[in-house]
Amino acid sequence: MTNYLVKRVLGALPVFFGITLIVFFLMNMAPATIADAAGGGEASSAAARAALEANLGLDKPVPVRYLLWLKALLSGELGLSYRTGQPVLGMIGQRVLPSLILTGTGVVAAVAIGIPLGVMAAWKPGGRWGKLAGGLTLLSFSAPGFFLCVLLIYFFSVRLGWLPAAGMYSAGGGGSLGDLLYHLLLPAGVVCLSNLGSLVRQTSSACGEVLGEDYIRTARAKGLPEGTVVWKHGFRTALLPVVTTVLNHIPHIIGGSLVVERIFGWPGMGSLLFTSVSSRDYTVIMGITVVIALTVLATGILMDIVYRLADPGVGWGGEGR
Amino acid sequence: MKTQRKTRLAVLALAAALVGSLLLSSCGQQETQTGDQTQTQSGQAVNVNYGISNPWDSLMPYYSVSGSNYSRIIYDKIYDRLAYVQPDGTCLPRAASSWESAEEGYAIVFHLDEKAAFHDGTPVTAQHWVDTLTLITDPACQILGRGTFACLTGTDEEGAVQAGQKVGAEAVDEHTLKLTFKNPVVPEEFLVDKNRELYVLPTHLLTDIAPADLVTDDFWLSPVGSGPCKFVSEVSGSTLVLESNPDYQLGAPGFDTLTITVMDKSNLLTALISGDLDYYAFGGSITEENRAVAEQAGFTVQEGTVPSTFYELMLNNETLSSPQLRQAINAALDKDLLCQQSTGTLGTVTDSSILPGTDYAGPAAQSAYDPDKAKELLAQAGYDGQTYTLACTSQRASLAALIQQNLEAVGLKVEIETVDSATMFAGMNDGTYDMGVASHTPTSLPLWFTGARLTPQNNIFRVGDLSTYTTLINAIGQETNQTARIDLVDELEAYLKQQMPFVPLWFGDALHVQSNTVTGIDYPSSACCNENVWQWQKTV
Repeated sequence: MTNYLVKRVLGALPVFFGITLIVFFLMNMAPATIADAAGGGEASSAAARAALEANLGLDKPVPVRYLLWLKALLSGELGLSYRTGQPVLGMIGQRVLPSLILTGTGVVAAVAIGIPLGVMAAWKPGGRWGKLAGGLTLLSFSAPGFFLCVLLIYFFSVRLGWLPAAGMYSAGGGGSLGDLLYHLLLPAGVVCLSNLGSLVRQTSSACGEVLGEDYIRTARAKGLPEGTVVWKHGFRTALLPVVTTVLNHIPHIIGGSLVVERIFGWPGMGSLLFTSVSSRDYTVIMGITVVIALTVLATGILMDIVYRLADPGVGWGGEGR
Repeated sequence: MKTQRKTRLAVLALAAALVGSLLLSSCGQQETQTGDQTQTQSGQAVNVNYGISNPWDSLMPYYSVSGSNYSRIIYDKIYDRLAYVQPDGTCLPRAASSWESAEEGYAIVFHLDEKAAFHDGTPVTAQHWVDTLTLITDPACQILGRGTFACLTGTDEEGAVQAGQKVGAEAVDEHTLKLTFKNPVVPEEFLVDKNRELYVLPTHLLTDIAPADLVTDDFWLSPVGSGPCKFVSEVSGSTLVLESNPDYQLGAPGFDTLTITVMDKSNLLTALISGDLDYYAFGGSITEENRAVAEQAGFTVQEGTVPSTFYELMLNNETLSSPQLRQAINAALDKDLLCQQSTGTLGTVTDSSILPGTDYAGPAAQSAYDPDKAKELLAQAGYDGQTYTLACTSQRASLAALIQQNLEAVGLKVEIETVDSATMFAGMNDGTYDMGVASHTPTSLPLWFTGARLTPQNNIFRVGDLSTYTTLINAIGQETNQTARIDLVDELEAYLKQQMPFVPLWFGDALHVQSNTVTGIDYPSSACCNENVWQWQKTV
């Protein structure tokens, strides 16, 4: 297992550097720099723009800038934000936990609702659960995140006045768990709804296939309770693709939800990315790229481990069945 | 069997709920620790929740990379300025109690408020102002926007102090500051123009920091100023918590803490209605179409006293090289329609960038819309059917579409490119685009617009020969006799109408949603990037 992990990590390194290289060059192909955005864009002099570019090192060729950035990264530095002058690592550090709370809660809720609903929908496709699953899947796939945000804010904040429309805590609310939950419900609800569709569909499709297998018929013929047949024999066999779908959400949890965080004024990674992209804050964008790339690569390795643990036949040396 | 199944389901549901609660509570506990920073000292603290749609930059007021009003409105609270400026050009005392012109207009003497003090208790003296100006005009100090101070003696055209010279700032005595200028300056005009860029720094706390390291020093992570609010905590680009400065010389703000949260523009009004915000920048501004929504929700909507936005069609004078061609564009635009579609009844069509109602404003603009004349001018210009690019941001896509229709109706082919504002301005600067739609916050100064855009340093309209503009702009800048100055402004305006380097469209009036929970807010003055927080009183 150790050899396998070492191989996987070494194999991921070129991918990681490849991602950073592509993002860095793509970003620098954008038609304006932070110096062009400065001073409202049009009222600063050419000399001021040139001075700012020189201050930030933007006057150097892109490959040189990439190598400098890489050198800093290898010494554990993500540099200073062009926009705020603060260390990028600290800025990202401030944003990871709020994103984990928001997107994590939304995804956990989606898993908690989506998987049982998917199984029930596969078990009785034409029944109430099947219809509910179909409706929620349709809503999840068809309603864009920003629309759900606006809709929920309108009903629950403006019309009913039950839930707050913005923020993570009430100012002076003491930062209590209750206050956090109160502010979390709406944005986490949107994240949950947005993720629910894929989970329900994946689970019901995987379970639907398994529940049609001969051994399930045999289990029923043996007189096993329906719950045991569905959950123990059906769902467990269908677990791998479902786990893949769930694990695929991990980078999303770390990376935050750009639209939801922006609209609800949630201080997470998504809103930081939005601000950084619109202000051409390349160092922060690269910092977030590093975090997300590492998470995606780690999730890939984690998935492989889970597969091998769930299905020992696959083996650790790639020998397989 | 059925009962057993139900029991299992119930147990499963309970287990899921427990796991969820545990996860949430663990996350919540961690956040509580980080959230302690934002907690007030007592449970009864009075908070003002303030929304803003864009984040501020560094909290170092001379290192605002965006140079945007979103940063200035934040600095306004932590750091003190010389005066409080209102949109009609009135200047009220702030750090300076009074001021007067000296040395035949080449100097201004400011009498500083003796009660002013930094948040660490140190009194603000004239020497702090001198040291601030000395520091920020030091070429070694990598501040941004130094060009603002190029008007002071001893500096070069980029605002850096010249070798062997001193910046034109002198502490006459402990509370008297004298600024000396290269050209005669009217004190109020200096304040309208520069007040929002000039903050006093606690230079007594910055002595150990090398000028070269000043802007990135950790000091700005927890800054000390002398403004009406003290810094408490920040999640950069998201949340800023300030507290009332009880010793502010103009009075303590009527709240304990001010929590500033960045949120999407689309959610500001809803957050105000739902009670999550007490007020939002700038001046609780809303569009006319949202006026009814705010009023139905029980808010009073106040109309601005002075126009708060100026819309223009930027032109690339290099590709649209003939004055006839640019005048044809002006004549082809149905500005009344464009203005009505964009602002409802809240706009006034204009043929100039000079703010209406000021001494420099000419008679109200007559509609120049004349498609036949536009066709004639196009023919005179020898227009060959070339397609021009019109850049706009996504918020102005419908306005750009109307402009495109107007121009195509007279035979001018236009292709719209929707980009972000940085790309649009970069594209206008480097000549990628031929036209662009932009808006600005006007001031009462005659050169607020042209003086910053028709110069060798910033020639965004890519005018080939700037000499006439430069001569007239310099002459207006140096003239202190008001009558002579008005004549010069008229001369510049006549030349602008003849050359048409840009097309002025309209001035838009602001609508302000008044807070139901905070009184004393001077809504219109937020357009000048200052807010009278020392007069705010949270009532609920």
